[in-house]
Amino acid sequence: MSAALARNVNLTRELALTQFKLKYAGSALGYVWSLVKPMMLFGVLYVIFERLMHTGTGENFPMQLLLGIVVWTFFAETTGAAVSVVASNGSLIKKASFPRPILVIAATVASSMSFLINVVLVMVVGIAFQQMQLGWHSLLAIPLLVELYVLVIGLSLFLSALFVFYRDLGHIWEISVQMLFWGSAIFFTLSGPTVAKYVKIIGLNPMAQIIEDLRHALVTTTVPWTASLLEDQWLIIVPFALVGISLALGMFVFRRLEPRFAEYL
Amino acid sequence: MTPAISVASVSKRFRVPLDRSNTLKYRMVHPRSTSKYQDFFALQDINFDIPAGEFTGIVGHNGCGKSTLLKILAGIYKPTSGSVTINGPVSPFLELGVGFNPELTARENVFVNGAVLGLTRGELTRRFDDIIGFAGLEEKVDQKVKTFSSGQEVRLAFSVAIQANADILLMDEVLAVGDAQFQAKCFDIFAQHKRAGKTVVLVTHDLGAVEQYCDRAILLDHGHIINDGAPGEVTAHYRRMVGEASDAAALAIKHGGRIALDPANPESRWGSGEVRVRDVTLVNDSGEEHHTFTSGHPMTVAVNVDVASQVNDLICGISLHRADGYTLAGTNTFICKVPVKCPPAGQAMHLEYVIPELTLLGGSYRLSIGLSSGADAHHYDKLDQLVEFRVVDESGRIGVFELGGAWTISAGKPAAALPSAEATA
Repeated sequence: MSAALARNVNLTRELALTQFKLKYAGSALGYVWSLVKPMMLFGVLYVIFERLMHTGTGENFPMQLLLGIVVWTFFAETTGAAVSVVASNGSLIKKASFPRPILVIAATVASSMSFLINVVLVMVVGIAFQQMQLGWHSLLAIPLLVELYVLVIGLSLFLSALFVFYRDLGHIWEISVQMLFWGSAIFFTLSGPTVAKYVKIIGLNPMAQIIEDLRHALVTTTVPWTASLLEDQWLIIVPFALVGISLALGMFVFRRLEPRFAEYL
Repeated sequence: MTPAISVASVSKRFRVPLDRSNTLKYRMVHPRSTSKYQDFFALQDINFDIPAGEFTGIVGHNGCGKSTLLKILAGIYKPTSGSVTINGPVSPFLELGVGFNPELTARENVFVNGAVLGLTRGELTRRFDDIIGFAGLEEKVDQKVKTFSSGQEVRLAFSVAIQANADILLMDEVLAVGDAQFQAKCFDIFAQHKRAGKTVVLVTHDLGAVEQYCDRAILLDHGHIINDGAPGEVTAHYRRMVGEASDAAALAIKHGGRIALDPANPESRWGSGEVRVRDVTLVNDSGEEHHTFTSGHPMTVAVNVDVASQVNDLICGISLHRADGYTLAGTNTFICKVPVKCPPAGQAMHLEYVIPELTLLGGSYRLSIGLSSGADAHHYDKLDQLVEFRVVDESGRIGVFELGGAWTISAGKPAAALPSAEATA
């Protein structure tokens, strides 16, 4: 059994490294692109919300915004790429037998690598500009990152399996991600005055909850825990429950559809 | 001893959707529509055991289910019913090229592909030179696989696959690609595996390889096992079957006793139509109509002719062609000095051309029939290469026809007894 596990871990690592390599192969700037993209978005949003609309309030706003963007970019890019990961590896699926979820796991691991590098860079910048408030409570960032990964892997399993049979899903997910961007507390905080009325709706979005709680853990404690804004104990568990559901649903759907991949691709 | 592979009443059904209603829009517009499917059984009730260490060949025509069977053995397809038990690690080598990524170099692909086959980075690093050496791709190690020819790609894939630490190897059409030199290497590997007591399942069209390397062969036809036994016997069965199968697909399609025109080639029949060929039958030595003949045995070409209006100058001709259209032989009643008397209008005529011993060797051939006037070479009816037939020959002779010569061997004179070259000079 452990031999099989070792084999699967080895395969996951090889596939993840390959995808990481392929993503940046053939472009002159390579990895720099995965920094440039969030930085451009940061620049635009910073100018609009802080300089023009003056809605960018709160302690360490640039850092809050940057953290939100980096987390969001990871979410959007990973799920967006994962949609087609099974379909585009048809030749491998049709010719070799290995646990199919490895393809999805490898894809998410590959983009997690660039995400973690970005997070470290952001933290270095944040500490250098004294835009971070770190303490023991900052350790809570670790379970929050785990929650983020669980959400991403759950959605990726779900999307990649369904996409084999329903190709419209790629477009549908792209639009969904675009819309979700506005409701994920990226350029605003849940405690801010603008969204006070809708906090009990937006706060249920796991991405808003993760970004907001990461801000509390890393950037500034003036941003409250999402839980304290939702107040109601049933509402508090909703974002976590949604993450759990996405994983359970993703695993269920993947497992159900998996035997037909090879025939359909 | 438990067999390495055990297949028990395995069936595989593919549902072929009649319309691919896999868009969300379709699903939303027709929420209750159950998609129409056509069931297609690629395999039906397959049973066999392969003992460890046996070298088994699977043969059959295209679409008989042999690749599906191999995919089920490899765990890529799930059988619709029945069960497959595999005891031991498997290395599948299926189809051409094992999912190489064209954007990666040969080196990188070897590591990914090796990982798929269960090899670790360390093992692959140690065996890397062997792998590249076997594939003969030393100069292309760091080039992207997209620059490779299909032959090079398969060579690389095969070289990686044989490194797998597997006791059971599944191979699909490995021999179909690669030059003679690489095929020879493959055969060496087969022999090595055989000596090492590995279990090999080989799907191939190369019947010679089956006869030479396999301990056993399985013949599949339309999803059923129709023969399972000694390789020689099974390949002979398959060869007979191929001969018969092309009967069914013979060019001369008879429709209600008439020869239909080849729809792809309307030029294949022409003539003014005073006399017309109604049908052409090929008859073998036991008097049966047939499309497969054995070299050296009799063949009779029987032609029925309808007369629409009587002609007073009629020659009947016949010619033989190779499958590529090259004319091998031809003759007619005028050359053979056989007078043909045309019956009056509305009556029919029967002609036979009897070949007592068919000198043609194995292959597929075509017949042309012509009815013409001798004086001005005017065609009443000409059927150009419309009748196809096959000749089977298992003697090993090569070429198109039996040379017909005879060998005589006797004691020769020693060289010393002959006047030497120097002596005459």
